[in-house]
Amino acid sequence: MIEVKNLKKTFASGDTQVHAVNDISFSVADGQFASIIGRSGSGKSTLLSLLGALEKPTSGSISVGDQDITKLHDHALISYRAHKIGFVFQGYNLVPNLTALENVMLPMEFAGVPKKDRLERAKALLSRVGLSDDQQLRKPARLSGGQQQRVAIARALSNKPKLILADEPTGNLDSQTGEMIFELLHELAKTENTTIVTVTHDLSIAGKTDKTFRLNDGKLVKK
Amino acid sequence: MNVITRGIRNAFRNVIRTLSLVTILGLSIGLSLAMLLAHQAVGAKIDSVKASVGNTVSVSPAGVRGFDGGGNALTETEVAKVKTLAHVTSVTESLSDRLTTTNTNLVSAIDAGSLGQRFAGNSGQSFTPRPDTGGATGGPSSFSTGGGQSNVSFTPPVTVVGSTDPTNLSNNVGGGTFTLKSGKVFASNSTENVALLGSTLATKNNLKVGSTFTAYGQTVTVAGIFDAGNTFSNNQVIMPLVAVQTLSSQAGALTSAILNVDSVENVASVTTAASTTLGSVADVTNDSTRAQASVAPLQNIQTISLYSLIGSVIAGAVIILMTMVMIVRERRREIGVLKAIGASNVKVVGQFMSEAITLTMLSAVIGIVIGAIAGNPITKLLVNNASSGTSGGPTGGPGGGGFVRVQFGGIGRGLANIHAAVGFSIILYGLLAALLIAVVGSAVSAFFIAKVRPAEVMRAE
Repeated sequence: MIEVKNLKKTFASGDTQVHAVNDISFSVADGQFASIIGRSGSGKSTLLSLLGALEKPTSGSISVGDQDITKLHDHALISYRAHKIGFVFQGYNLVPNLTALENVMLPMEFAGVPKKDRLERAKALLSRVGLSDDQQLRKPARLSGGQQQRVAIARALSNKPKLILADEPTGNLDSQTGEMIFELLHELAKTENTTIVTVTHDLSIAGKTDKTFRLNDGKLVKK
Repeated sequence: MNVITRGIRNAFRNVIRTLSLVTILGLSIGLSLAMLLAHQAVGAKIDSVKASVGNTVSVSPAGVRGFDGGGNALTETEVAKVKTLAHVTSVTESLSDRLTTTNTNLVSAIDAGSLGQRFAGNSGQSFTPRPDTGGATGGPSSFSTGGGQSNVSFTPPVTVVGSTDPTNLSNNVGGGTFTLKSGKVFASNSTENVALLGSTLATKNNLKVGSTFTAYGQTVTVAGIFDAGNTFSNNQVIMPLVAVQTLSSQAGALTSAILNVDSVENVASVTTAASTTLGSVADVTNDSTRAQASVAPLQNIQTISLYSLIGSVIAGAVIILMTMVMIVRERRREIGVLKAIGASNVKVVGQFMSEAITLTMLSAVIGIVIGAIAGNPITKLLVNNASSGTSGGPTGGPGGGGFVRVQFGGIGRGLANIHAAVGFSIILYGLLAALLIAVVGSAVSAFFIAKVRPAEVMRAE
């Protein structure tokens, strides 16, 4: 269960204050697939950063399970990101000089998973997202966009997180590949009982999620 | 794969940049090592020169060097004043004189040769012509003096040294190492008419221990025969100081006093004090001062090499520092990703530090090779340029301070003889310098890494 209450994030821009996220409250149940839509600059990515503990809010609270992540200190936040959160980015953001397999093993290394377990789980995850043994040993530059996003999804799942945050996961893909990636995320949410929150511009994708939140100028205008 | 292996692999992400960096940094480390080698080699040479000079101060009558120049002999009363100076541990006194054909039956073992003729002719006063001695193997020489004499023959004079330290050849005769071949050494305070003869002089005159010869019209007994290891000293007679003073009618006179100082560091102050005490009656010199002047260019090289060493190490640190800062700036987004998926600052910094150490260690290997190849030639080049103005020091005539000049000439000639060798310590220093450079380079990049927020990954989208 994710519960957001009165969340605010304000940036200083010169003499003015920009309210990127302005008093937002909502909740997402475990295993639900939620989408956040809105125009550029509406605060979607900032909200995702706050949910992923990449930034601290100006005020308000975010509870993931029974933990209020806004009250965690830096060391606990690192552990939270390592164990509870998985990220999928629009530009994949794989480490270019590591193979697909090594990229998936990376978060497990940071989470302290033994090397043998890392390898087994990484192989299993990559097979599950559809990468062959040969493709698993390739570096990102030798994979297509769709394959790279599959690797990114496998990486996000590597530590069995409670929450996967996806920022425009189909934004760089053609519609057919984007559809496949969306289906993959949807399936994983159900089978792994993982909550997924995705930011998207694609209304057809948003329409298929369990919940949709529309942001406008940092405010939640539709649940 | 862990932080370290990832860092090592990252070092080769951009091969061209890695090659360029390693080459430049390798040159910097190589120059550092070459300068370190030069610094050590020159330092060792300076130390050896200073050690070879010893801790003595020479006092000679003003204007006199051996048998050259002119002036008045020192007196024991005058020398007594410097015996009590601070740091003076002992004083060796000597009186040098020449035995001529009118007061000795000794025949020099050294043939006059062309130089002897020239010295005698240039002196303006010839030595007493001597008829053929019969026993002399070298035979007399004919020459024309500056005074207009012609076709007279002579044999070089025999030098007699009265000394309070007869076995210390470096202090009272033409240098060398005293080795007693037969007989015994007389006591330093002896007043007897006894003598130690150089081996070639004894052979020339068919003298053995217990034999007698005439000096100053008196009979002198051979107490021992020595070998000094050089022709000049082996043609000399060493007698007790008092005996020479008495026989030569120079009671209380001295031609040399050697002050032994407690340490090399005090040689300069004792020289100054002795010079002040004795005033214009004496010339006070020391090898240390001369050696100091002689090694001054080497000390300049040492200073230059030290500054170059520091400069090249700093240059190396700046190169790796700037490179790492550039790499961190290039990989801000990747750092953000690593932090977003759970990496701590320590892990990210460790990865970049591993990368910096890999780059610098590769450079260190190249640098050590460059340093090993270039160290000796660079040292020799520096030393040869610096010592070209100092080599070829003065060379001496016979007697008195001549030994100083001969020794000093040796110092001058030896200055260029420096060899810089790469040892284990140099390699260790090279690796330590590389490690230091890597740590410095990484420390600044670590600061920038720590400042990268994980949210950067979202902004980069």
